[in-house]
This record gives sequence, C-alpha cells and structure tokens, in this order.
Amino acid sequence: MDDAAAALPVIAIRGVARHYVRGVDDVQALRPISLDIDAGRFVAFMGPSGSGKSTLLNLVAGIDRPDAGELLVAGERLNDLDEDELAEWRSRHVGLIFQFFNLIPVLSARDNVALPLLLTKLDKRERVRRAETALRVVGLEERLDHYPSTLSGGEQQRVAIARAIVTDPDLIVADEPTGDLDARNAEDILSLLRRLKNDFGKTIVMVTHDPRALRFVDQVFHLDKGVLLEGEGAARATAAIRMAAGGAVEGDVGGGA
Amino acid sequence: MTSFGLVRANLGRNKLRTALTGSAIGLAVALVCLLLTMPAGLDALLENVASNTRISVHNKAGIVYSMPASFTRRVRQVDGVAAAMAQTWYGGAFEEQGKVTFPNFAVEAEHVAGVYPDYPIEPEQLADFQRYRDGALVGRQVMRKYNWKIGQRVSLRSTVWPVDLDFRIVGEIANERAPFFWFNREYLDQALQAFNGTGLGIVGMIWVRASDPSRVNAIMREVDEMSRNSEAETASETEKSFFSNFFGSLQGLVTIIMIVTSLVVLCIVVIAANTASMAVRERSAEIAVLKAIGFGRRTIFAMLLAEAMLLATAAGGIGVGFAVGVTRVMQAFAGWSDALGPLGSFIITPSVIAQGLLLSVVVGLIAGVVPAYGAARKPVVEALREVF
Repeated sequence: MDDAAAALPVIAIRGVARHYVRGVDDVQALRPISLDIDAGRFVAFMGPSGSGKSTLLNLVAGIDRPDAGELLVAGERLNDLDEDELAEWRSRHVGLIFQFFNLIPVLSARDNVALPLLLTKLDKRERVRRAETALRVVGLEERLDHYPSTLSGGEQQRVAIARAIVTDPDLIVADEPTGDLDARNAEDILSLLRRLKNDFGKTIVMVTHDPRALRFVDQVFHLDKGVLLEGEGAARATAAIRMAAGGAVEGDVGGGA
Repeated sequence: MTSFGLVRANLGRNKLRTALTGSAIGLAVALVCLLLTMPAGLDALLENVASNTRISVHNKAGIVYSMPASFTRRVRQVDGVAAAMAQTWYGGAFEEQGKVTFPNFAVEAEHVAGVYPDYPIEPEQLADFQRYRDGALVGRQVMRKYNWKIGQRVSLRSTVWPVDLDFRIVGEIANERAPFFWFNREYLDQALQAFNGTGLGIVGMIWVRASDPSRVNAIMREVDEMSRNSEAETASETEKSFFSNFFGSLQGLVTIIMIVTSLVVLCIVVIAANTASMAVRERSAEIAVLKAIGFGRRTIFAMLLAEAMLLATAAGGIGVGFAVGVTRVMQAFAGWSDALGPLGSFIITPSVIAQGLLLSVVVGLIAGVVPAYGAARKPVVEALREVF
C-alpha cells in the first residue's frame, strides 16, 4: 500500500447516531459522533458496558445502519444500502472476528476458513488454496483438517482470524477478540492482529476491554454513554485503563479523534 | 467444500435426529406408495378374475331375487351370445361345519365349457360332470381347504332349499379365482320334484359369454330390453363390474386408509417442521455469524430449505425403494404359490415412484419453508444481539 492510499480515511463517520427501542424505553445508544480512521490503522473502541462501542462497531462493519448522519466505509455510503446490499458489501469488504470464535463445528479448519469464499465465483481448488494460505498466515498450517472441537481457544480464534482475512477485505472488525482467551493467547491474538496491520496493511477496528490492547493498537477511541470522549476526557480514560491494569501497560496511544 | 457440502455437513451434525426424522418421512412415503398401488392392484385383480366377454344377468331388484328358468333359453337366442349358463344358489352347508363356508351353485353342466372356456378343467372330468347326475366340480381352494379328493363323496345341507344332497366330486376347477362348488342343476330339480312336485323353475343368475367383446354392450342392452315390464326385470353387467361390487367395500376401505395416510403425512410434515425449527434454533448463533460475514437472506433461506428438502427427498427416496422392495417380495411370494397370486398385482409403477418422490419434496418444502424464512428474514443485527 502506498503512502497516498494509506493516508485516505477508510472509515469516515459524520454525525452518526443510533437509538434503539427496548420495550417502552428509547435507548440512545450512540449520540452524534464524527471521526475518521485512516487506511492501514489498527484502532480500538474502548469504554464501559453500554458505552456504545459495540453499536459503533456494528455500524462500521455494515451490520447495522445509523438513524442519522453519514457513514462512509471503504468508499461506500452505507446509509443507502438495504439489508441484502449490506450483506453483499460485507462479504467483499469486511472480515469479522467475534469473541466466541463462532466456527461451524461440523467443518474442518480449512472448510471454516473457506466459508466466506462460497459467496465468490472462485472455483473449489482456488477456494481451498486461499483458505490454506490464510491458515498459514495465522500459523495453523498443521491444523488444516482439524475440527473446532479439537482446537484450543487460541487456535479457534486464529481460525476465525483466517476466516476474516481469506477474502482479503479492506477492513477487519473484531468484537472482543481476546474476551474468551487466557492472557497468553490474548497476547498472541493481539500480536497477530498487529502483524496483519504491519505486514499486510490491513485496517483493523476492534472493540475491547483488554488493557493489553493499548500496547498493540495505533489509536484508541474512548466512548461513554454513547459519546466519543475527546481531549482530556480521552486521556483520563486511557490513564484509568493503565491504572486498572496495575501500570503494567506501557506504550503511547492516541486519544480520541 | 461446496454449498452442497455445507448443507450435507449440517445434516450430519445430529445424526440420530436426522436418522429418526428421515425414518419417519421414509416410512410414511413407503406407506403412501404401497397404498397408491391398491386401486391399480384391485383393478388388476378384477382383470385377472373377470373375462371381458362374460356377462352376468340377474334380477334388477338384486341378486337374491330370482328369474324364470325359461329366460335362460331366450338369452341364448340373443345375437352374439356364444353360451349361457343358469346358476342357482344352493346355500349348502358342509356337514362338519354347519354353515355355508364356500359358495355352492346348481349349474347347467352342459354349458359350463361354453361359458367358462378359460377355466382349466380336465376334459374327462368335465365329461364326468355331465355324465353323473350327482357329480360336482370344485374349485382348487375349496378342495385344498377340506383336503378333498376326486371321487370323494360330500354331503351338503341346504340352507335355502328343503332338500339335502350327497355329491360325488368328479373334477377340480384348477385355478385360484373360482373357489366354487358347482353341481348339476338337474340333480336339485329332481330332488325338489321328488320333495314337493314343483321342481326348480327359477334361476338366480345367468352367466353369458359373448362371441366377441364388441358385442357385450349390445347383448346387455338386448337382454334387459327383453325382460322389460316382466315380473323379473333384469340388470345385466359385465363380469368385471359384477365382481367390482364385491371389491367396492374394499375400495371404500382404501379410501379411508388414504385419508388416514394423508393425516399421517400431515403429522410427518409437522414433525419434520418441528425438527427443522429446532435445528435452526440450535444454530441461531452460527446463522447470525453467517449473515454477518455476508451470507444474504436468500442464501440463508436457500441453505436451510435445501437441508430440509435434502433430508426429506433422500428419506423419501429410501422409502420409495423400500416400497418397491416390499412389492418385489410380494411378487416373489406370489410366484411361489397360486394362493398368493393376487399379491403380485400390487406393483409400484413409475407413476407411483414419481408421486412418492414428489410427496417427499413437498414434505421437505413445507417443513423447511417456515423456519428457513424466519431465520432468513431476521435482520443481522437483531440475530447477533439475540445470541451474543
């Protein structure tokens, strides 16, 4: 990826808001937010439960649509797309990673990774080749034929990451990718994501509570009660996370946009 | 992996449930296929039993009412009639059993060969039947049932006439479709004359053989026209029609069985739909993830529906195969013994196979469409929120 391309914002969020109706309550999950994320960046959305970080992630991933504002991701104005168009767009532009891996238990690692390629016009041989390549990238070339039940949590998450990158998407979206892993595996996964960013220029957006993430990401966006924290608020949130982690987290990360 | 591979793999995730649901569908389809053979099977049975040239002439009021014996002679004169034979119910009970256990009739011995050229009766036995006044021709089934032998004497006590008669078995009707006991009409006539001086002036049924199948309808019309406005108006019908009346109640039973089977199929559809719903519910997290990674609503719908239809069609195919196997075994049994001959009439035709497979597809379609639609239409964000 050249410098000019890397400088373009792959995600442009302009006054985006989202509310939900739950029973009789109208929940303002996200108040109008604006931010840009440049191509090739590894960013994290952090904040307490109910802060709106997952809502923002769903919007960025094209899983949900905003009530207000404008959302441009990978060159597409997502506001204009219906459910089917969004699905088709996600299949081409987004790789998704979930907290609980969510692999298909009756498929081997290779077949799980090849799953998104069923939506392409690639022939079977090419699908297999790409799936095996993706598994090699995440270090699981020895586990091609293993089923999820025979893999450790860390390995399952690596398979899920391979599934997310197999279509060579513009954007990788990860929702608490280390939330179900022990410390060592969490470090490995964060390290792998960082490598995807460094080696392949992938743009990665992650929601996490994990303070270790501060050492791996380029930038953190702090949210609280649906509001993006900026300036001193963002700095205080970062300091609080470092403090909660017992000062073990080093590194310099950016604040809110 | 292919899309079909994914569908197949999903079916294999709970093998016991898939096997049980498939078995239920397969057995229901097999049952329906076997029942679908019954109307055609009964028709084939009738074709086997009945000749296309034989006509039954009986009282229009019903077969228990008689006609004048002289009417038989008039029938023989109708153009196109090759032969006609008067037949009268004797209602004889075999002494040992005390009740009527096989149909026995007084017939005109000299006209048996003319009306029943298709019945395998040895010529010398037929000659004996005409020669001996007390001779009897007995169907193979009856002979076998009582272990009777040719030359044996048998006494029948009539439940209709005031005379009991002793018979000498002179021959056998060597097929399975004529379980009769025929004896000479003159014998009964003479016994009645001896008893009360009146003799046998009536006839219960006249069996007519047309010289040509094309003449059958004309003969029936002419015979019935001859008897119009007489004391005993007649109703003529083909032998096939006559016997189909006996099978009529059986066909009613078939109708009832078909209705019950339809209800069974409906139950199977509901069971299969429930199974499909459970499968979808259990995999709601996976389906949500598939949607999230880009599987559209149509793809999800098609995938889930394909699962239900693949299971139903495969199970139905096995069910059809099972039904074909059952009929083959029945045909094999039919070949071993003449008594089991009718079993060979129940054949799974290509039409029945097509109907069975179509039923399987429809079962899969109905069972799968609701849960597949429900899973497909749910917005991805809602699906993810429900499971994570």
